[in-house]
This record gives sequence, C-alpha cells and structure tokens, in this order.
Amino acid sequence: MCRPSKGTRKVADVHGKFGAPGYPCFMPSRGKGGTQARQTQKRPTPSIRPALPREFIALHKQRRIMDALAELTAEQGYEATKISDIVKRAGVARKTLYDNFDGKEEVFLAAFDAGRDEVLRRVEEAGVDDEDWQDRVEAGLAAFLGFVAEQPTVARMCMIEALSATPETTKRYEDSLETFVELTKQTLPKDERLPDTIAETLVGGVAWIVYQQIRRGEAERAEDLLPELTEFMMAPYLGAGLAE
Amino acid sequence: MKPLPRGRHGLSREFIAEHQRERLLAAIAASLDEHGYDGTTVSAIAGRAGVSKSDFYRHFGSKDECFFAAYDEAVERLRADVVSACAGEGKWALGVCAGLAAALAGLTAEPGRANLLLVEGLRAGPGVYGRFQVAVESFVPYLRDRAPEGTSAGRPPEAADEAVVGGIASLLGRRVLAGETARLNRFFPELAEFALTPYLGVAEARRIISSR
Repeated sequence: MCRPSKGTRKVADVHGKFGAPGYPCFMPSRGKGGTQARQTQKRPTPSIRPALPREFIALHKQRRIMDALAELTAEQGYEATKISDIVKRAGVARKTLYDNFDGKEEVFLAAFDAGRDEVLRRVEEAGVDDEDWQDRVEAGLAAFLGFVAEQPTVARMCMIEALSATPETTKRYEDSLETFVELTKQTLPKDERLPDTIAETLVGGVAWIVYQQIRRGEAERAEDLLPELTEFMMAPYLGAGLAE
Repeated sequence: MKPLPRGRHGLSREFIAEHQRERLLAAIAASLDEHGYDGTTVSAIAGRAGVSKSDFYRHFGSKDECFFAAYDEAVERLRADVVSACAGEGKWALGVCAGLAAALAGLTAEPGRANLLLVEGLRAGPGVYGRFQVAVESFVPYLRDRAPEGTSAGRPPEAADEAVVGGIASLLGRRVLAGETARLNRFFPELAEFALTPYLGVAEARRIISSR
C-alpha cells in the first residue's frame, strides 16, 4: 500500500529553514517549482526546533495526496482526474506521489481504506455501552450518518465514485459492504424465524438510501435519515416480538 | 444461434438488420459472462453473433454502445415480465409478490442476463453504475403505487420503498456474484417478507405470502 517516503532527508532539512509555528505548512512554494525553490528560500531558523520525524512528514503528505484525490474525484470524477491535478492540489511534487503510491488507483484505494476504517471504528464504538441491541443499532446508524454528514467528500468517494472508478475499487466497496453486513449480523438478534439474509437486505437498503442522499448533494443532512432508517431496520423485528 | 446463410436469401434488409442487432445483444451478454468486460472484444461479439465486424459497426459505434444497448434491453425485458405479473393482481400485496416472483424467475431463467444486469455490468466502467442505479430506481414505482398508507403499527418509514428495492437489488447482486443465480427463486419468501413488512407488519406479510 503506502511505502514510507524516500528522499525525505531534503524535506527534513528544509523544514528547519521554514520554522513556521503551529501545524506545519511546509510547502510555501506551492506552484513555484519543486525542491530547488524550497531549498533556496531564506527564512529565519529558530534555534530550538526539532525536525519533525520523517514518518510524520511522510504520513502528512500521504494524507494530503489522498485528500486531494478525494476532493478532485468529487469535483470532476475519477477518470478525469490526472496525476498532475492531484499533485497540484496536494502541493507536492510528482516524485513525492510516486514515492508513496504506485499511481492514481493506489491513492484512491488508500483513501478509500482510510475512510472505511474510520467509519468502521466509529460504528463499532458507537453504542458499545448500550445493553439494548436496538440502541446499539441506532447508535451505529447515527455514527455512520454522522460521518457522512461530517465528511461528505470522503463519503462520496467511498460510496459513489468507488463503484465506477475501477474494477478493483468496486471490489473494495463490495468487500467493505460485506464487513458491515457481518458487523450488523453480530448486533441483530438471532432468530430462526428470520432469514439469514436479513442483515444483507437491511444493510443493502440502508446503503442505497445513503447513496441517493449523497448523490442528491445532501450528504451534509444525512443525519436527517436516522429516524426512518432506524425504523426500516427495526421493521422485521417488530411484530416478530423481538423489538418494541 | 446459427448465422444466417450467406448470400441471397430473399429476406428484407430490415429483417436481417433487426435480427443482427438482436444477435449482437445476445452475443455481448454471453461474451461478458465468459470473458468479463475487458476480455470482450468487438471481434468476439461479432463472431459470436455470426456477423462481420463492419456489420457490427453498422449497428453500434463501439463496444460500449453495444453494451449499453444490451443493458437497457435486458432491463426492459425484465420490466415487461414484472409489469405484466403485477397487473394481473388486484391487491397491492399480491401484485408485489407476483412482480418479485417474476423478477426472480426472469433472472434465473437467463443467467447471462442476471450477470449482465447485476454483476458484470457494474464492472464495465464509469457510467454503468449510474445506469444500474437508474434501472433499479425505475422499479420503485411498482412497489409504491397503491401501497397502503400504513397499519395499526403506523405509517411505513419514508423511503421504505427505495430501501426495499435497493436492498433486494443489493442482495441479488451479491448472490449472483456468488454463483447462486440458479437458486435465486429460493429467496422469494424472505424477499417478499422484506418488501411487505414495512407496510403491513411482519404477521400480515407472512400471512399473505403463505396464502399464495
């Protein structure tokens, strides 16, 4: 997946020259050319500034590349997005992208995995203290919708663009859906009167609705869907005497 | 399908052309089933249909165009089966059951079509998922029309119809992908229950399904 960034020595040296306080924006020469320009910039050098660890800088750049791809994909689609667009938006050198990723698809997959892992973490943690399974289901849904509302660009990338970018991204989506189905299965009460496929159809239905919401440009209001989606997920259990 | 004999056969140009188009649509579906989208070529499609490459291009500008035509035609044929099944039923719930049963039967009867619509089709590249999504959405009205407003349990959740159709499509796609196309019919009872429950409640849904 992501390889540790090679050639960070130059950046670590350069960082000391910039000495910007706070979270480093250590690429001030965006658009003005690569390493050469950075090295010739003259900035005051604070004497007591430790260089940021290499890994931190590398991860930060990877993050920016992934964020840039997410934004560009949302704006113009995966196909139309070129490497040159990504590096320009991320403010990194082309070489930096290729030091960290094999290409556009790998950036996408890395960004997808990062988004999916974050959602999964939030959904798993949600309602972990709730004893009642219905509360856990609702909390999980709330966590999911909350993520979509909070990070609409990533949500769009994961739930819409992934399905049309490449066969590998489609597969990644399907595998991720499977993960959520398994998680849901563990949370829903088991009853032999209910079909084995109940978790699949419920998760599929929820995913469909959220997909529509994002597609309509209403991702920021995804949390409005909580009551109806909760009701939808409970429906098979009400009347079967498993929920109230 | 055997190719038409070469040479003069006294058939009108239009007849041959129409025939060719149908054969090409069938050929691409079969080709996709065997080779996947990337592995399917215009030559292969044309060969399978028993037409020349130049004849292919008389009908379609490209593989993609042929693919989209096959996709749309497959959707329409499935739709025709569903609509005629629904129309035959007076009560909404029975119409939903009949339509669902017809859809499952239609997919099972033509595994190549199931693959085209639900699996291979989705991998064919940008733009296809949008088509799939529009196609699935187009079945929502059959569920929504004449649906009951609610039961003693209350109104069905808003967007229940979309969630039901989307959930069923999602499940069918996964099952076809898993190679279970021949046995899709066995999902009928649970999918029918899944479809009717938000509107009628579980007990009534089960009663109706078992009374069919």
